[in-house]
Amino acid sequence: MTTCGEMLMEILESYGVDTVFGIPGVHTLELYRGLQRADMRHVTPRHEQGAGFMADGYARVTGKPGVCLIITGPGMTNITTAMGQAYGDSIPMLVISSTNSSGEAGLQEGHLHELRNQRDLVAGVSAFSQTVLRPKDLPGVLARAFAVFGGARPRPVHIEIPIDVFSQPTEGINRGVPVHASRPGPSPDAINEAADWLAGAKQPLIFLGGGTVEAAPEALALAERLGAPTALTINAKGVLPRGHALSCSSFIPYAPMRALMAKADVVLAVGTEMGETDYDMYRKGANPIGGKLIRIDIEPDQTARNYRADLAITSDAGLAMAALNTALEERGVRSDMAAGAEVAKQIRTDSEAEIGEWTVEHEPWLNAIQAAFDDPVVVGDSTQPVYTGNHIYESASPRSWFNSATGYGTLGYGLPAAIGAKIAAPDRPVVCISGDGGILFTIGELASAVEARAGIAILLWNNSGYKTISDYMIADQIAPVGCLEYTPDFLTIAKGFGCEATRVDSPEALSEALKTAHGRDIPTMIEVMG
Amino acid sequence: MESDKIDMATKTCGEALMHLLEGYGVTTVFGIPGEHTLELYRGIEGSNVRHITPRNEQGASFMADGYARVTGQPGVCTIITGPGVTNAATGIGQAYADSIPMLVISSANDSASLGKGWGRLHETTDLCAITAPLTVFSAMVHNPSEVPELVAQAFTVFGSRRPRPVHIAIPIDVMEMPATGDWSVRTIPDKPVPGKAAIEAAVDLLSEASHPVMMVGGGAQDASDAVTELAELLNVAVISSNAGKGVVSDKNPLSLTGGVISPAVHQYLGRADVILAIGTEIAEADSFIYDLPVNGKMIRVDIDPARFNDQYPATVGVQGDAGAAAEMMIVALKDRGFDGSAKTTQADVRQIAAQQAADYTPVENQHIRVLNLMRETLPDDAIMMGDIAQLVYTGTPAMPTYLPRTWFYPAGFGTLGCALPDAIGAKIALPDRDVVAMVGDGGFMFTINELATAVEEELTIPIILWNNDAYAMIRDGMRKRNIPEIGVTPRGPDFIKLAEAFGCAGTEATNEAEFRSALKEAMARKGPTIIMVREDANWLV
Ligand SMILES: Cc1ncc(C[n+]2csc(CCOP(=O)(O)OP(=O)(O)O)c2C)c(N)n1
Ligand SMILES: Cc1ncc(C[n+]2csc(CCOP(=O)(O)OP(=O)(O)O)c2C)c(N)n1
Ligand SMILES: [Mg+2]
Ligand SMILES: [Mg+2]
Repeated sequence: MTTCGEMLMEILESYGVDTVFGIPGVHTLELYRGLQRADMRHVTPRHEQGAGFMADGYARVTGKPGVCLIITGPGMTNITTAMGQAYGDSIPMLVISSTNSSGEAGLQEGHLHELRNQRDLVAGVSAFSQTVLRPKDLPGVLARAFAVFGGARPRPVHIEIPIDVFSQPTEGINRGVPVHASRPGPSPDAINEAADWLAGAKQPLIFLGGGTVEAAPEALALAERLGAPTALTINAKGVLPRGHALSCSSFIPYAPMRALMAKADVVLAVGTEMGETDYDMYRKGANPIGGKLIRIDIEPDQTARNYRADLAITSDAGLAMAALNTALEERGVRSDMAAGAEVAKQIRTDSEAEIGEWTVEHEPWLNAIQAAFDDPVVVGDSTQPVYTGNHIYESASPRSWFNSATGYGTLGYGLPAAIGAKIAAPDRPVVCISGDGGILFTIGELASAVEARAGIAILLWNNSGYKTISDYMIADQIAPVGCLEYTPDFLTIAKGFGCEATRVDSPEALSEALKTAHGRDIPTMIEVMG
Repeated sequence: MESDKIDMATKTCGEALMHLLEGYGVTTVFGIPGEHTLELYRGIEGSNVRHITPRNEQGASFMADGYARVTGQPGVCTIITGPGVTNAATGIGQAYADSIPMLVISSANDSASLGKGWGRLHETTDLCAITAPLTVFSAMVHNPSEVPELVAQAFTVFGSRRPRPVHIAIPIDVMEMPATGDWSVRTIPDKPVPGKAAIEAAVDLLSEASHPVMMVGGGAQDASDAVTELAELLNVAVISSNAGKGVVSDKNPLSLTGGVISPAVHQYLGRADVILAIGTEIAEADSFIYDLPVNGKMIRVDIDPARFNDQYPATVGVQGDAGAAAEMMIVALKDRGFDGSAKTTQADVRQIAAQQAADYTPVENQHIRVLNLMRETLPDDAIMMGDIAQLVYTGTPAMPTYLPRTWFYPAGFGTLGCALPDAIGAKIALPDRDVVAMVGDGGFMFTINELATAVEEELTIPIILWNNDAYAMIRDGMRKRNIPEIGVTPRGPDFIKLAEAFGCAGTEATNEAEFRSALKEAMARKGPTIIMVREDANWLV
């Protein structure tokens, strides 16, 4: 007999799922029966928040959904923050949970792990949340989840299964075959109109967002054809290769780019929310766009948020940019890059000057990462060097610089997400940058990393407190309170968890330590006193 | 309160809120500041409110929960919107499940952006929807003048009905506005007192009963004297849930303590012709079984009328405060000249206790050895905070408990990692009492970061760590059901080294004498101490 729980694992396998993150509980036992059958890797975090962040890191590196197995109630409330971060950054994640038995779900009788309405809890942090009341509904619900991941704006999906349903038989159920939904392409009329506008533009400007990470070749070809200065959001880093002449890096919220936005006659924004954490980090208000705005997005209503598009194209980013490129070629557009490159260079220099002090403080350490590795994955938390890196760091490839300072903006993301990234890409160097405050949120995951043999390097930026916040308090004339008075001995903590640990006092030493760390199959904590 | 009114107008909404909370008796808040909550922190600076900083907002809500569990006063959290709230969700859920008063104050995104999906920092689709299933109410403030009323409503929930969490969210722009309106402290009504007719109906059943039994839960925590007197007058055995442990002291020969988990007690319950259940959900989470053998008539005393028609429908429902109900029943029984002294209840209780003792498994007997050592060493009023661990499950029926609000195992939500932060909250609330945490090696990892908070606040907390290198509860479940043991033997860290790294003490107890002296030393030390006991250690096997 195959139970519903076992069938679930088999279907997941047929969709290419090879790793799941979860902590088993009384309510999810039946899922674990299926795990062995499906021959999947199970990674055990030390808190369900860790499961969610690991799945997120795994998904950001691979583009495949990270999958979590979670118990009802506290398991779900524990993972909500991670779903929020993935939701904010459009990351595919599949959270499969138990829920109380069908006969007791809404009765509020005080059953173990009871949560009045679990789906309400995650409704706002998922594309959808669905209860499976009969095993025969499961194949269809999973198909719908993978249709979101493959064909729409990817976001977390939650599927909950009552504990009594897990063990029900599945004989005679038609599972169907996995169908991979493709993304829609652009309307030819819209592309023609966009091409006309861009062909006539004297000062075009391109914004590339996280929606373009699968479309680096198309983005490059289009930017070069237009000769347009091109800014990358934090989640789009690497879509233009490091050091590309047209790249304005990610200096979007600073004065030089704000001035350029006002001046450009056609702005093309692809796969970007144009949201606060990239465009208006200092909350100066929406920056006027002087010319016309063309927005390409997989989700149509996104083109009306923040900056309203003059021309809105609903499409996969790669398909739309390829079509635009062809349409521009037909119109004989081929600009030389000199003018655009000049503008881009100016943006970079002027912005670095505006950031000033911070660049001086953090840049050498960020450079040390690039000195150590050609193409590392750098996973960050909400800490000061990451904020700086979010503007100045140039990534060699997409899906290789991401952190929780964007969107949901949580803390404690860096370490578990780096573990997920390493599990997804075991051969690549993975560097986590976390602050002393942030890393404590999820420090227990050092144990998971040792257990999973994840040889990540952790650059711990230790400035003894929530410096971001105490800086704000001081600036706002509030005496710092609640910004941490006690800092533990992080190197001994790391060793206590079975990791390697060292302190470095120069960027050169950091480079060396990073290289050594990469050769290990356990994590290495490298402390830098900030 | 006239002076408050004048003061507030010069303050921002966030600042004024702290002063208002002070007016309601709040002395302590648990939170992590963020860019979005700065105005609240401006208010803390100008008040006498103490701020405790956990290392994850989950710790904030657990600490607030612990604070409330031992005092009965609401625990208060001050946290940022988005991740701050979702991090706190688990502790809020635990407080909801166990009827603990908690006030969660959070920021929210700029009013103009709410619901728009602009992708603001910390944005949520609908913040209040997230906490709706975890609270009595979850409200978004649109204007500062709404705050005093919402706060009054919150304290009404805490003081006048079944207490549970409340969430008030204040958008950052509103937080910065002047505190307009009337910010004086309002009157909070008392809990309702049962009606005479219900009491008479209950007493009718009780005086006719030949084999009555009493069950008590967390709703009776503040009614220890009256409930004990009632039990003695009726001469009934008293079965408690985890939350009801200590309402009737385990020194009392009528107490079956947290026996709701024991088969021997289930049998006894099955024979009862009248069950008087006071302030208890009679929940599966406490008994570990779905259907308790309830064959007699149920009298349910509860402040929440929904309880009268749950899985164990009431023949008589007495709605109101537990203490008032017990006192009224005592008067009514005495008026009738009730005399229950002929019953052999004490002998029954002794017999059941003997049966329980015989039923314990070898591992449970190991637990009991450690629990007994704790009991001998700790004063009667020591507070014990348990995690979701086997040592603690055994403690439910086995740990003698002498006072209400001293034994805690948050069975309902059943979330790992609650014990240490809950103990921190308890110790902050009652610094003169001994507070001990009991954790498993798995659960401890969920919130081990809060050791830093305990060290920062120099809190004397012995942490009894039962180490079996496993999520043993789940591993045992897999074995029983023939499921491969996947993900249940997480690799443990070097706990003693971690203790040192976090700036606290840590030791392994390898015999009884060591355990005793380690506990004594820990009780005398500033800061937390990990006392590890290995399940496979010689002295236990
Ligand atoms: C869950 C959560 N709580 C609070 C905040 C607010 N916050 C943003 S940065 C920060 C300080 C982080 O401290 P640390 O990791 O040491 O980095 P530093 O600012 O010192 O570089 C805080 C508390 C947040 N972003 N997320
Ligand atoms: C947040 C959360 N995740 C998962 C569970 C499921 N669960 C219940 S008990 C348990 C094992 C806990 O292990 P440990 O703390 O070592 O205690 P032991 O059972 O070994 O005594 C687990 C994983 C839970 N109750 N809460
Ligand atoms: Mg710091
Ligand atoms: Mg264990």
